[in-house]
Amino acid sequence: MKRLSVAIVAVAAVTISLAGCTNAAPTVDPDAKPSLLFWVDTPRVPQAEAYQELMADEIDITIEVIAQADAQTKITLANRAGQGWPDIIFGTAADTAQFLDPSNGFAADLTDVVSQDIFDGFGEGNSDCLFDGTYYCLKNDLANGVLWYNTVIFDELGLTVPTTMDEFAATALQLEGTGYSAGAVGDQGYYSMYLQSSECPLADVTAPNVVRIAPGDPKCTRVAELVQPLLDAGVLDSRSSFDAGFIADVAKQNLVAMTLGPSWFGDFVIRPEESWGVPAGQIAAANMPSWGTGDDDRSGAWGGGVFTVSSNSLYPQLAADAAVWMTTSDVMAQLETTPTFPAYGPANKLWEARISTDPYYASNPYPAMAAGANKISQVDRPVRFAFVAQIGTVLQAAINGGASLETALNDYAVSLQNLAPASGYQIETE
Amino acid sequence: MSRSRSNRTSLIAGLIMFTPYLVLLVAFGIVPIVVAAATSFEPSIINPGGGPLNYLVALQDFRFLPALINVGIFLAIYVPAMLIVVALMSLLLDTVQGRWNLPLRLAYLVPASLTGATAVLVWYFLLEPTLSPYQDALAALGITQGTQIWTAPNLAWIFVLMAFFTGAGNWIVVQYGSLQSIPDDILEAARIDGANAVQIAWQIKLPLIRKYLVYMGILVFAAGLQVFVEPQLISASVYPGLASNWSLNQLSYTLAFQQNNLGGAAALSLMLLLVCMIAAIFVIFRTDFFDGIGVKRK
Repeated sequence: MKRLSVAIVAVAAVTISLAGCTNAAPTVDPDAKPSLLFWVDTPRVPQAEAYQELMADEIDITIEVIAQADAQTKITLANRAGQGWPDIIFGTAADTAQFLDPSNGFAADLTDVVSQDIFDGFGEGNSDCLFDGTYYCLKNDLANGVLWYNTVIFDELGLTVPTTMDEFAATALQLEGTGYSAGAVGDQGYYSMYLQSSECPLADVTAPNVVRIAPGDPKCTRVAELVQPLLDAGVLDSRSSFDAGFIADVAKQNLVAMTLGPSWFGDFVIRPEESWGVPAGQIAAANMPSWGTGDDDRSGAWGGGVFTVSSNSLYPQLAADAAVWMTTSDVMAQLETTPTFPAYGPANKLWEARISTDPYYASNPYPAMAAGANKISQVDRPVRFAFVAQIGTVLQAAINGGASLETALNDYAVSLQNLAPASGYQIETE
Repeated sequence: MSRSRSNRTSLIAGLIMFTPYLVLLVAFGIVPIVVAAATSFEPSIINPGGGPLNYLVALQDFRFLPALINVGIFLAIYVPAMLIVVALMSLLLDTVQGRWNLPLRLAYLVPASLTGATAVLVWYFLLEPTLSPYQDALAALGITQGTQIWTAPNLAWIFVLMAFFTGAGNWIVVQYGSLQSIPDDILEAARIDGANAVQIAWQIKLPLIRKYLVYMGILVFAAGLQVFVEPQLISASVYPGLASNWSLNQLSYTLAFQQNNLGGAAALSLMLLLVCMIAAIFVIFRTDFFDGIGVKRK
């Protein structure tokens, strides 16, 4: 018994001494050189280093590489520790949705630290970062859908490029029996390229902390009605565009006649030798086919990162300036290593100059990318629950496993309806 | 020399030997548990009031039951497979004395050099029909597509494979060590009495190393209950999210880092700890685990 009490005292002593370690709030020395900490993923390192060099005389910038998937984890840990936050962080808009919630509190309101000119320059490009009328992040790049097609195969079969989804389906059915494919839908592509462009409400934030998840909406059901026959006919593949089997059997055999895909598909999926390896001079991009007319002509997006500024930064203005530079600078737009479609209009123009003359493409893919960029559906919004991860867990798994698209979507929606309340949302299902 | 003095000397010696462990136990065992216990009452979005309700909320999470079932299936395959194969292989190893014993022991250790993270990659390549060196064998089984392998019903088996091959070799060598502790005269006596190798293994060796197998069973169960790396990493690769929240520890991780619910995460972790401790205590006291190690006084 005595030993037990000794142990309890020892535990209490250690606990108290640990609790005593909490740091007092740091203060800024006005004479000291300011310092900023960047957390970025690997593709963003070159632009971060460019800024580090540019500001070397004025700011000490430290760059730390993190995996994009770890952003929420690392911020939560910093919140827990009460220190160690980065001044700016690269992640997804869903991360920002999490960071701006009072239960997290990391994301800074950018209204007063970023000029209106910058927001204007983004146009629609920064919509993901607008939460209930306030900007909480700056969009780095856009990943809207376009129709990638193989001009050689289209010429061979005498096909015309579809401009509506009905035409897309008709064109796809013309591939039946030819051995050619209209792409794969067993991954996030089915959500981003098909469901989201159709504006199927799966993360439709109708009021703060209220989300509408309604797989029975006509804008959802029409997708399965259009796509299921293509799957059944075998012209669409139920595997993923990244599936080793699909790549070996179809993509590497250069049998993909067309596929809906995000703007980065060309450079990162279709082109690389270790991926699909489609030869130069064959691939072109056309506008995302429209579901209907007028407002019913939207695109979806697969990816696209944002920079979020810390509300704990000792230098809020410098941190915001850094985020602005990272997303808008000319240098960023022209760096050879800048991989994807910049969200900021003026920077985007410079990037255009690079991609539009790329000899890999049969024709300039930029106009199609640009056309879709301002049409990204805003029905589904970045939310705090694991919307994208759940695509893999339920939607992709069901499609890969041979379930009907209707069942796959319903299962996915039910899982979201279960998930959302755990993150503090009320749900609407109709 | 009086009896009390010798007792005091052994007490001091015991304390000196135990202290380094005690320090570590307190710093990295007890303190985290105390901190987790305090954390488990914190409020969250889903339970703004905090308190003991966190435990109930974690149990009622819609992902809890599926994760519990997944881990249950995993354990039901993993623990018996480890116990049976390790016991069998170490008994076999024990019969191979002479020049082949050392290389064999080394060979058993090699797979253990693959940590959980690397094992995920290795098994991905082994099982992916397009990339696998055994694609002909897979094709003979009718498996030609990755989607036939990477589906929910197969996951428990796949994770058992990964965990088994990284863990079994180590334990074979450890249990071989425990077989070495059996006095030669006992085995000699058995042989003189006419027991053959199988009888010696089954009726002499196995009962004598039983407590080491029990010990292994406890550790393997505890490790299996906390399965995390394999499902977490497979979910971050070609089939994103395939096994997200597949295990209880993953659910705890999700609660902590994706839902700002550290209270729920801590509550779930403590409940896992409790299950491990109950299982360990049950096994220890229902067997003669401590017999002959000097705890029970004869």
